[in-house]
This record gives sequence, structure tokens and C-alpha cells, in this order.
Amino acid sequence: MRSPVQPPRWAHWLLTWLHPDNTLEEVEGDLHELYTHWYNSSGKTQATLRYLLNVVSVLPPFVRRRKTNKQQPEYRTTSSLNSIMIRNYLKIAFRNLKRQKISTSINIVGLAIGLATCILIMLYVQDELSYDRYNEKADRIFRVALRLRLNGKDVGGPVLGANAGRDLQQEFPEVLKTTRIRNQGSEFVNYGTTSFKQDNLLAADSAFFEVFSIPFLKGDPKRALTEPNTLVLTEGTARKYFGNQDPIGKVLLFGSDKTPYRITGVVRNVPENSHFRFDMLTSLAGYDEQHIGWTYSMNFYTYVLLPEKYDYKKFEAKISRLAEKQIGGELQQFLQLSPKQFREKGDDFGIFLQPLTSIHLYSPFGGTELRPGGNILYVYVFAAIAVFMLLIACVNFMNLSTATAVRRSREVGIRKVLGSVKAQLQQQFLIESVLLAMVALLVGLLVVGLALPFFNQLTGKTLTISLLINPFVLAGLVAGTVLVGLLAGSYPAFYLSAFKPVAVLKGGGTAGRRSFSLRNGLVVFQFFITISMIIATVTADRQLRYMRAQKVGFDREQVLVIHDTHMLRNNESVFRNQIIQSPQVITGSISGQVPVGNTNLDNTAVMSKENPDKGVMSRFYYVDDAYIPTLGMQVVLGRNFSKSFPTDSFAVILNETAVRALGWQQDPIGRELIGHIDDNGAKTYYRVIGVVSDFHFESLRQKIGPLVMFLGRNSGNILVKTHTDKLPQFLASLKRQWESFSPAAPFSYSFLDDRFAQVYVSEQKIEQVLTLFSSLTIFIACLGLFGLATYTAEQRTKEIGVRKVLGASVGSVVALLSKDFLKLILIALLLATPIAWWGMDQWLNEFAYKVTIDWWIFALAGLLAIGIALLTVSFQSIKAALTDPVKSLRSQ
Amino acid sequence: MRRTYLGEFEEVVLLMVAILDGEGYGVTVSQALEEHTGRTVTFGTVHNTLIRLEEKGFVQSELGGATAERGGRRKRLFRITALGSQALQEIQQLRQNLWQLLPPHTFRLSGI
Repeated sequence: MRSPVQPPRWAHWLLTWLHPDNTLEEVEGDLHELYTHWYNSSGKTQATLRYLLNVVSVLPPFVRRRKTNKQQPEYRTTSSLNSIMIRNYLKIAFRNLKRQKISTSINIVGLAIGLATCILIMLYVQDELSYDRYNEKADRIFRVALRLRLNGKDVGGPVLGANAGRDLQQEFPEVLKTTRIRNQGSEFVNYGTTSFKQDNLLAADSAFFEVFSIPFLKGDPKRALTEPNTLVLTEGTARKYFGNQDPIGKVLLFGSDKTPYRITGVVRNVPENSHFRFDMLTSLAGYDEQHIGWTYSMNFYTYVLLPEKYDYKKFEAKISRLAEKQIGGELQQFLQLSPKQFREKGDDFGIFLQPLTSIHLYSPFGGTELRPGGNILYVYVFAAIAVFMLLIACVNFMNLSTATAVRRSREVGIRKVLGSVKAQLQQQFLIESVLLAMVALLVGLLVVGLALPFFNQLTGKTLTISLLINPFVLAGLVAGTVLVGLLAGSYPAFYLSAFKPVAVLKGGGTAGRRSFSLRNGLVVFQFFITISMIIATVTADRQLRYMRAQKVGFDREQVLVIHDTHMLRNNESVFRNQIIQSPQVITGSISGQVPVGNTNLDNTAVMSKENPDKGVMSRFYYVDDAYIPTLGMQVVLGRNFSKSFPTDSFAVILNETAVRALGWQQDPIGRELIGHIDDNGAKTYYRVIGVVSDFHFESLRQKIGPLVMFLGRNSGNILVKTHTDKLPQFLASLKRQWESFSPAAPFSYSFLDDRFAQVYVSEQKIEQVLTLFSSLTIFIACLGLFGLATYTAEQRTKEIGVRKVLGASVGSVVALLSKDFLKLILIALLLATPIAWWGMDQWLNEFAYKVTIDWWIFALAGLLAIGIALLTVSFQSIKAALTDPVKSLRSQ
Repeated sequence: MRRTYLGEFEEVVLLMVAILDGEGYGVTVSQALEEHTGRTVTFGTVHNTLIRLEEKGFVQSELGGATAERGGRRKRLFRITALGSQALQEIQQLRQNLWQLLPPHTFRLSGI
């Protein structure tokens, strides 16, 4: 029944909201009564005002709080977190873990693997993000890169002509320093009687060491590279050439013409996480380019050092104006096109700055970088995998902890009866799960230590565990693990400790289906990840197989490539003629071009005679008459070059793509094209004598482009087609013959099919990484499923017992238990299919020649997931189904 | 002798609780205060004082039955404890003793 007069509702609401709960009822009632009294004596307005005033008087901070436990003031509750209790918790925890060996080890292994993966990936990501940050001025160093769109193709890159750096320093006072780096590739270096093929040669300006922070061990950084023909060694290289001797002032002889270089300094080895690497750094001083400018001979990586806290975008805008003038002028001279006309054609040019620290992960110029870069996408993918793995591992840990804890409901009951309070039980469970998590962390760290060499091999990095020694990282790991332990333990702790002892001890149902939907969601999530990983792995594997099996258009079996034959100088052809006499050799060809991998050759324009304005960007190959037969290429029209036709020096062989690009519908044989225009505009015509079928001369990531083959001398390698089963002897004989010319270079060789496989190393790595991670996810997901199956089987022991008594067969019980999981996996499959399809489609877009994503991959992934899941679940469900019902029902 | 201090307002409220004899709760106490002393105080003051008296052990309380006129909410009824009545009696006794010591001419001088 409601009283006829009601106090204002909002004031009342204020009271209920702010007044302490334990005195709310009586205060509400008192004020209500007073309000009625005032209402009757002084009217509504007065009553409302006084009510409000009095409400305020009982709100915090004016109100005094009633203490709840004043009933037993003389009884002091002792904290259950004292040292005796903790010792007891630990003792019980150890006993429990020891008693349930299998579930304990499953739990530890699962979490340990999750943690280990996460730590490994963390190391990897940290390394990727640390690139070039060792430089003290890292945030002030920028690289000047060229944006150039020519004939609709992006041909820009991180390199500029020789003068860009100098011009920038002269024009803009804010450029504190500039330095250029030129990639010198590899060269034969002689010291005394020893000769090495020296890789990782760079050349740089003397300001190099003022821009980049690479400390000197010997020599003067200010003067080290100021003179021509001087060089700086790294520590490692110095040891390789000179042992413990002092290298300063010593002279190394470079190349076949033995150019002397004087050593002026020794620096520390370039850090691994640097976007360039050198073993020797030669001086650029006195280096003359024939054409100077910004876009001629673009061989120079140009870096500028800006003042502190300087907005580089502003500087970029400033130098863009200079670049417009400079590059525009060069284009005018080069192409007879004004910048405006050039842009109207749909082409474009300009320069931009790349912050040093973003070069490794964000630079778009893959092949032209000083070292192969990383990819921010992979960093994200890896980080996501790490997070997922950890999440899945934690979820499993939680599920398994819960599942094992449920077995202990009787223990909880007894403890409660004996006087244990809720808090003690909670602490018991939390301490157990934190203990388990810490053990898992230790095991995880051990796994990281063991797996690191393999992981390094896989990722091509040199990660060390030393990063983990950092106290902050360690503290973070421990804190994270404790958190995982607390979270995982919280569910059993709060759930089990809330059991009513009577209910538990009576043997009543403890089956809490309360959180079942949450756990179902977690299973779906796990299998979603698992299925996506399986799909990704299978697709990557198929793509890789496809590329390996792809008809490349030439025969790469039994082809031996002898390297650096130009070091034989004039004896190169003598050597070739000598070795093709051998009965084990079919043919041999001298050529610099090996149609595998990035050749870094420029595209050059050729025009058909009929249509001289339309240039077709083509690759040029200079080959001899043995090239096509050695590589087993198909001549589809016309003929190969031949010594019997002296006019062949003005003949070309095209590939099919080039024929199409030049627009020759009918027989192209005998037609002419413009292959060369000299500085005076005089054109050289070449006659087409043959067409070879298209072959892949780079990787399958690119489409086959137009290719023009000229007859010409192009030394560098000798390709030898052999047929032999006595390879070691054959190679030994080749080596003897090579050494008879006493060349400056050692004999070295490779097989074409090996080199072909090398091209796909990065794809292979991705596949390996995917396989690894998907097996790990499957493994962890199975652990989770196993735990869950154990849990449900345990929960339904009685049900199964009753069913069996009533005549259910083992099969039907197994089906009953497995059905629930199957549904979840099907949902996961439905979710994973579109997302995995989209992801793989994105990845495959990188390849010009790719496999299609077929439906059967998804079916396979689904079947695989279901199969694995059934196997895992059946272990538990069959066990449950085979249990004698007498056992499970006797306690009733 | 350590004695629990009893403030003037506390003393009056305690007396009211004693007078009301088991019927004392927030409303009756504040109305009685207003009626007998003419002091208008906010409800919060009375509420806080009652809680404080209870903490000091001078009164004890229990929740009484619900009545319709307060929207069905229960009252917290206060009753004086032995300690409370002893404290009141001690104060009374003390005052008595002090009055005895008062020289008889004091009030006469002040004109009463």
C-alpha cells in the first residue's frame, strides 16, 4: 500500500543513490515519515524544501557510516594470507599437481608452448622494429628516393645520380651532412698470396661516419675516407685478412687489374639490424661519373642529416622544388619532353624522403635495396599470431584448470565443513594456478632457449636470448605470467569456493552449465584460428609446389654454372672450348645472364622499324650461339644464332612476348627493329632471325616481359650442360683445368636448379613458418579440446551411467559426447572460410603466376580439423562410454 | 577513571531515547527534540548522533516492523543500554554534587 503523500522522486533518487546501503532503509523510512508530517503541517513547498535539506544532511560526506561488524568487536579475524597458510597452500598445491600428473603436464606443456611462441615472436618483432635505431641520430637521418613513372611503369628507387647529395647540401643550409653509398657488389681482393672473393663491398663519402654511428677501433673517422683509393675494414674482415696484425696502412689489391687500396681504418662490425652491411667500405673520393646529375647513373643511395626536431615533411616540400627543376631539365634533355608533356602522358616524377628507421619495414623498393628488407605486414601477422597463440594457450589453461578443479569439489566440501572460509579456498586455487603458470614460464623459457637456433635458421636472423635478460622484460614476463595464472585460476577459485558443502558432499550435481556458452565460444575461436592456419599452410604449400613445378621454359636439370669466368680474361673462351671437349659435356655457353632470380638488369626500349615512336621496354640478353641449346630453350620460329651466318651480329632472337608487344601479327622473321640509338640519333637496325618460346627469366612473382637476345660477348659465367653420373670427378677435372690458367679467383660453381630453388627461399620460409605455427596451434587447440572433453565427460558421468543401464551402446554414447564438439567445429569452419579465403587471395596477388584457391582446400581443412578433434575427444568419450555404470552410479 | 565523553547534544539525544522508552527512532527523536527544546536540527545530525551513541555503546538498536505510512520500510528503534543510563545518572549525579557546592548568594547577586 502506498502512502498518499510521496516525497519528490528526484530527491529520493539522490538519497538511494548516495546514501550508504546498510542504513538506507531506515533513513528512507524516517525521511518519508517526516515529509508526510511537514506536508500536513506546512504544505507541499515547505515540505519539499525541508525534505531536500534533510536528504543532503544524510549524504556523504555529512553522514556517518554505520559499521557492520560491530556485533563482535572483541573477535579479531586473522588474515588467511600469513606465512603458515601460504606454506600450507604450496604444500597442498604440490601434492595436488603431483597426484594429477597427466593433466598437470598437459596444462604446463600447453601454456609453455604458448608462452615460448609468444616470446620467440616477440624477439622477432622487436628485432624487426629495431632496425637502424642503433644510430645515435637515427631520427634525423633521411634517405632521398626517386619517384619515377615511365611508360606507365614505376621505375623509381632509393638511388639517385652522383650529384643529388652535393646539390642538396649546397642549396639548403638545413642539410647538416650528406653522404652517399654506392653498392660495389663483390670483388676479388688480393693480399700477398691470398685471394678472396669479397662480398658486401660498399663505397661511401667521408661524411659517412658523421651520419651513421659505427664506432672506429683504429684510425681517424674524420680523415678515413677523404682520399681516393682508401678503405675502411670491419673488425671481422680485418681478422680474416690480417689475423692479429695491424691493418692500418696496408694495401689490398682489387679485381683483375689489381687496383691498390690503402687501409685507413678499422670499425666495429655493422650491426645485424642495419639496412646496409659492409665488410669493406671504400672511399668515393675522386670517383668520377661520366654523366653527372640526378637521374644519370643512378647508383647512389643518398642520405641527409637534418637538424634536431626539424619537420622533414617541410624539407621534403622544399627539395621537391629543386628536384622539379633538376630532374625536369634532365628529362627534357633525355626524352625531349617538358615536365608538363611528360606528366600529360600519364607519367610522373619527383623525390621524397624516407626516414632511416622506416627503410627496413616500409620501403617499397624491394630488389634495389642494399639488403633485402622486411615487411611490416609480416610483423603484424606475426604479432597477431603471437597474441592468438597466447590467448588460446591461456584459454586452455583456464579450461584445463577448471576441469581438474571440478574433481576436487569434494575436497572443497570437506574443507568448508572443517571451517575453511571462502577466501582461503580462493587463495588455495589461485596459488596453485599461479604456481603452474610459473612452472610453465620456466619450461617456456627453456623451450625458447632450445628453439632459438632453429628459429634463427628459419627467419634468417641472429636473435639471442640476451634481450630477455633485460630486467624490465623479465619483470614484464613474470607479471604477465602471474596475471595469466590469476585469471586462469579465478574461475575455479570463485566457482568452486562458492559451492554449498552440503550439496557437494551429498554428491549432488555440480554441473554448472552457466559458463558453457562462453567455453563453446572459446572452442569456436580456437578452431577458427586452427582452420585458418591450415588453409593458409595448404595454400602456401600449393603455391610453392606450383612454382617449383612450373614450366619455366628452359631446362634447368644438369646445368652447371661456373662463376666468375671473366676473371680468366682472354682465356675465358679457351677454357670453354677446352671443357666442351670433355665427353661428359654436351654444350657450354659463356654468358653473364643466368635466367634465374633478379638480374638487376635495366629494361631498354626497342622500336619496330615500322613504328619507331612506340618503344617497348625489353630485357637485353647478350648470348653466344650455344646459349639456347645449353638451356634447352625452344626455338618456335626461325633459327638460332649460328657461326655460319656472319650477318648474325646484327640479328636478334625475340621471345613470344616481345613479338606480341612489338605488334607483329604475322611472321616476324626477317622484320627489323631499332635496337640502339647513339647520342647523335643514329639508329642501328637488327633483323629478327628467330623466336624462342617464353621462359621465366626472373621469379614467378613477375610476369614474363619482352626479351631481346643479341649475339655478343658477355662474359661472367660459363653454363655447362652435362650428362654424367661421376659428378665429383668431373668437377675435380674442371677445377684442375681452371687452375691451370692461374686465375685471380678461386674455382666456384653452382647448379642451375639449386639457384632456381634459391629464388623461392622467402616463400619457402613463409611456408615453413606457417607449417610450424599451424602445427603448434593445432596442438594447443587439441590440448584445449582434450581438457574440455575431460571436463564434459566428467560432468556427465552419471548421465552416461544411467544411459548405459537403460541400454545405450558404447557407440551411441561416444556419438553423444562428440556431437556437441562437431557443431562447434562446423561453426568455426563457416567463420574461417571467408576470412582465410580473403587473406590468401591478398597474399597470392603478389604473384603473377598463381594457383587458384579451390573449395577442396576448405573441405580438407575442415575434415582435418574435425578428424583431429574427434580423435582428441574420442579418447575421453570412449573412456567414459566404457566405464562400468556400477562405478559411476554406486554412490547414489 | 576513564570515562567516555558525552557531548551536550549527545546527552540530550540520549535522554530523548531514554524518555521515548523503546519507541525512539529518527523521527520521534527529532520531533521530541523540537517539541521539548525548541531546537530545529537537520535529520542528518540526529542520525549521526544516534550512530555515534551506538558505537559508544550507550544505545542499542534493532530493526522494527514495517509500517505503511513510511512506504513499507522498517524503523531502526533505539533503546538505552545499561551503560547509557549509568552515564546519564553519573552526569546527573555530578551536576547534583556541583549544585550542592554552589554558594547560596551567587544567584542572588545576579538578580534572580
